[in-house]
Amino acid sequence: MLVLKSLAVLAGTSLASAANLTVSVPSSPPLLLNPSSLAPSTHAVLIGPPGIQYEAPIRRDNTFTFPDLAEASYLLTVHSRDHFFPPLRVDVTKSVDGTQQETVQAWQTFRGNEWSNKGPFYGSGNGELRIQIQPSSQKNFYQDRGGFNIIDFVKSPMILMALVSVAFIFGMPYIMDNMDPEMKEEFDDMQKKGPLSGSSGAAAQLQNFDIAGWLAGKGSSTEQGAGDTGKKR
Amino acid sequence: MLLPLLAATTLFLAPACAVFSDEAWNIDYHFALLGAPKEDTSFFHRPNPSSKASLIYTLSEEHALGAVNPRDGSLVWRQLLASGGDAHNASFLRAGEGQDVVISGIGSEVAAWSAAEGRLVWNVHTDGPLEDVEILELSDGKETVGAKDAVALSGGDRPMVQRIDGASGAVKWQYSIDGSDAPFQLSASSTEVFAILLHKTILGYVKLRVVALDPVTGQKTDEYMLSSENELATADNIISVGANSASPVIAWTDAAHTTLKVNVVGTKSISSFSIEKHDENAIERVRMHAPYHINSLSHFLVHYETATSHWAEVYHINLKNSKVEKAYSLPRVAGRGAFSTSTADANVYFTRVTRDELSTVSSASHGILGRWSLSSFGVASGVGEQVEPVHAVSEVSVKGDTVSAIRTTVLLSTGDWVLLRDGKGIWNRPEMLASTVAVTFAMPADVVALVQQLEVEAHGNPVAAYIHRVQRHIVDLQKLPSFLVSMPKKIVQGFLGTSADDAAGSDMFGFRQIIACATRSGRLVALDAGHPDRTLWNTDVADLKPGQSWRPSLSSTKDGVIQVSSVAGTGVGYNATDGQHLAGDLPIIPDEPDLLTSRAVRYTMRGNSLEATYDWSPSWTFTPIHGERILNLVPRPVDDPVASIGKVLGDRRVLYKYLDSNIALLATAHDASSKANFYVLNTISGAIIYSNAHPDVDLTAPISTIMSENWFAYSFTSEASDATTKGHHLVIGELFESLIPDDRGAMGASSNYSTLQTASEPFTLTQTYQIPELISRLAVTRTRQGITSRQLLAVLPASNALVGIPYGILDPRRPVGRDATKDEQAEGLMRYAPVLDFDPKWYLNHQREVVGIKDVVTAPALIESTSLVFAYGLDVFGTRLSPSFSFDILGRDFNKFQMLATVAALAVATFVVAPLVMRKQVDQRWRFL
Repeated sequence: MLVLKSLAVLAGTSLASAANLTVSVPSSPPLLLNPSSLAPSTHAVLIGPPGIQYEAPIRRDNTFTFPDLAEASYLLTVHSRDHFFPPLRVDVTKSVDGTQQETVQAWQTFRGNEWSNKGPFYGSGNGELRIQIQPSSQKNFYQDRGGFNIIDFVKSPMILMALVSVAFIFGMPYIMDNMDPEMKEEFDDMQKKGPLSGSSGAAAQLQNFDIAGWLAGKGSSTEQGAGDTGKKR
Repeated sequence: MLLPLLAATTLFLAPACAVFSDEAWNIDYHFALLGAPKEDTSFFHRPNPSSKASLIYTLSEEHALGAVNPRDGSLVWRQLLASGGDAHNASFLRAGEGQDVVISGIGSEVAAWSAAEGRLVWNVHTDGPLEDVEILELSDGKETVGAKDAVALSGGDRPMVQRIDGASGAVKWQYSIDGSDAPFQLSASSTEVFAILLHKTILGYVKLRVVALDPVTGQKTDEYMLSSENELATADNIISVGANSASPVIAWTDAAHTTLKVNVVGTKSISSFSIEKHDENAIERVRMHAPYHINSLSHFLVHYETATSHWAEVYHINLKNSKVEKAYSLPRVAGRGAFSTSTADANVYFTRVTRDELSTVSSASHGILGRWSLSSFGVASGVGEQVEPVHAVSEVSVKGDTVSAIRTTVLLSTGDWVLLRDGKGIWNRPEMLASTVAVTFAMPADVVALVQQLEVEAHGNPVAAYIHRVQRHIVDLQKLPSFLVSMPKKIVQGFLGTSADDAAGSDMFGFRQIIACATRSGRLVALDAGHPDRTLWNTDVADLKPGQSWRPSLSSTKDGVIQVSSVAGTGVGYNATDGQHLAGDLPIIPDEPDLLTSRAVRYTMRGNSLEATYDWSPSWTFTPIHGERILNLVPRPVDDPVASIGKVLGDRRVLYKYLDSNIALLATAHDASSKANFYVLNTISGAIIYSNAHPDVDLTAPISTIMSENWFAYSFTSEASDATTKGHHLVIGELFESLIPDDRGAMGASSNYSTLQTASEPFTLTQTYQIPELISRLAVTRTRQGITSRQLLAVLPASNALVGIPYGILDPRRPVGRDATKDEQAEGLMRYAPVLDFDPKWYLNHQREVVGIKDVVTAPALIESTSLVFAYGLDVFGTRLSPSFSFDILGRDFNKFQMLATVAALAVATFVVAPLVMRKQVDQRWRFL
């Protein structure tokens, strides 16, 4: 805050040794077509060494301006209601050529990494730096429930299997009826020989399965019963 | 059978706790508040010269600048301005006629905001604190077309007047005021800028010094002292209206309010008027209302107020000879009243709001142009309390001799801000909630009544209990007809899912708890968590004098009763449902440093050390090392049920939690080395059972802490160093009895133990996460039995958000440097990542912006799965949370139509297929025979 106060004094004269940073938000499709649609609460925060922090609200021309920065290494974060912005590192250092102006440099930085790990270079300027920052992603607040969808329901393998078997149950008699007699005889023979058919075959056993008896624990007698019915026939 | 089970489990695990799109906007509620608007910083203004509709702009007592749509009371935009820690709390808001910006002044910053969207246009910092900001309503040919310049008067060591370019914010000229006189106000006429200063005479009286400046060059053209003689003892008696008008006036009274003196700024003559007494009560306040436009008629109104009534007088200024004449007076009316000034072209209209009437007069004559009776303002108030208008702002359109339309916003004595259109209430904004300082949840009294009756029956003798019960049932029978009538509606509603859980009258799930909020102005406001859109009641509980503050604490230990107490000590009870005063007097005790109280242990700050007293006798003291100061202390919540004493691992073994109800987290700061220390204390013995230190911490940034169950969490901002990376960090620590599964460590064998005798130290696991933004406050969800997993609630002031972080994400047992094993996966643990990004789906406020949250309170609902959350500060936000999903209630995701359709489809299928199957079986039998 101390630094900000000196601005008014300097306002009349030309800005001699002030380091200014201007961050603008350009149109960046497809995430943010029109930066003027950003909420007025959008703001940028520069966090310097302990105790030094600057905050700038977004301006009408889609920029954030930080006048008169002290020499330090800053973390720049932009907070917006609907978008995420990447964090930047901004360094304000004494100029190497000994002039009064300070050098402002900006890089991308990465959370969870050491501070010296710098990303892409955003730019450098003497006394003043203008950089552009683009949103990295849009905030999506809502979780949709896995609702009921008839197409998804039909697509599931269980339902597909059931549908196939239904088709067989209803379709088979028609196919059988439309078969020519010779083939039908052949098929019948095959069925009779098959392990599933016949009075003592698995199919018959399944069909005549005595649930009540089985539940009552008469495991062996069920088979007997099945055999009996077979004899009666 | 396995498949659906598997599907169900994956469904439970797949999405992290999130805001569902069908629940958002339905179960949560939010009041985007501004705080009580100030009279001189509220006005109607067109956001663009071209637009027809105007908005209401205000800069409130909470330093929130915002625009409100007069049609429905919704907030268009809002900016929370930093006050700069200024003591005298002056703030200004001005808008020039036909301008698309509004100019605010607060602290030492003058800023222009675009009126339509609320974005910053320019800002200027002044040397000293601002004393006044005005807009120059004149054209000197040099200013850019459209943008009017502002003039600012700043105080401090070097008081000065500055003219600021309306388009760019550049300072055009500045004039330093010499002498030691305190700057007071600015006034601008069409030709000159006047700086009014207060000159203290040797006798201690105040004289007014006027410095006239040329608006173009900033050169002093004139300076004189007004001979206010010895009647002006303090600046409080100046009831001036500065500002832009054809002839700005300054007015003052003597301390006893017997004479009114008026001076037209720029002239030296003072007109004196004696103030007539209208009743036996002394005049308490004199206010002045004048038009704010340079081309309006130079008429003004003086408003007199006594304890029981008010009246007003209208004065005219003769522009030719600068003489002030009394034109007419408005009669005395009982109660308080509010006057507002509106202009149409040159005409000036005064609108008067009293307890029961709204009327408009023209400044030229006393004929009433429009009169509307107000039955009530439509706001909740205390029992027998008279709602009074405090101040008003109006927009009047006059056709011929009658008012064709009038919109008036009135701030009421209850703290509500209402808009009246032609005398009818259109909306009200509960702005008193913006100054909430303490909150509690309470069960409604009617729910409690049944519980009490059942208790009577349980404890009485059998015969009496039986008679009581029969009587109760007879009383209940009277409700049967209305119940039967409402039955079909209820069924239909329940079926459609429109209001299954928030139907009025029934609260099976405990969602309709009463939220009592104590405001800074000494009022107690009750909201219904199920129907937050209306205030239940709003009573004045602490009779505070102006400037007096109270530190209320609210609790509801007995169901249906809200206990209010100032500082600590005996409180006053209020009925939770209707706000009836139950018993007790509320003493307002002056502030004394006192920290939280948990159970019987009380903590007091003595100097720089923390003293704990147990049953009123000192138990232990914690004195930090030299140079360290105590930041805060968070004990485990008193009511913090824990369902399981252990954590079940993936292989069915158990890690035992270190559960002690007497533990607290203490944070201290060492400023010299910028180090933050965190201690977990045993609050009975005072022993430190865990401590951690973090270097390079920004101690000016908020450090938030929380303690619950067997874990604690804190967050801080750190500077880059070899050990840490720059940014914000969240640390979580969990205490275990032992880190070996199925082993209780030292405590295993003993059946009883005392913290004073055996030193049992927990095994602590901690983990640090780097978080993208600052956390200003931490809270935790609470459920009835603590079976449901917890969520850490964090207030993010930078994003204006409140996030609910599932505990599973933060778990310090997340494996570091390797992938989770199968057993760990079964527990829900995943590989540790140092960066914890807040998923937008965790934002409880989702698309809304909750601004200025100071604290978050949570309360359990009656059903185990749900916790009620209420956040307050400037905004008020509340929601319901189910951290482990709604396992005991059919939520909105339960599709009743789908269920019925499935049953119907199955029934139809059964009926259709049954004959087919029968025929087939019969056929088969015949075939085999």
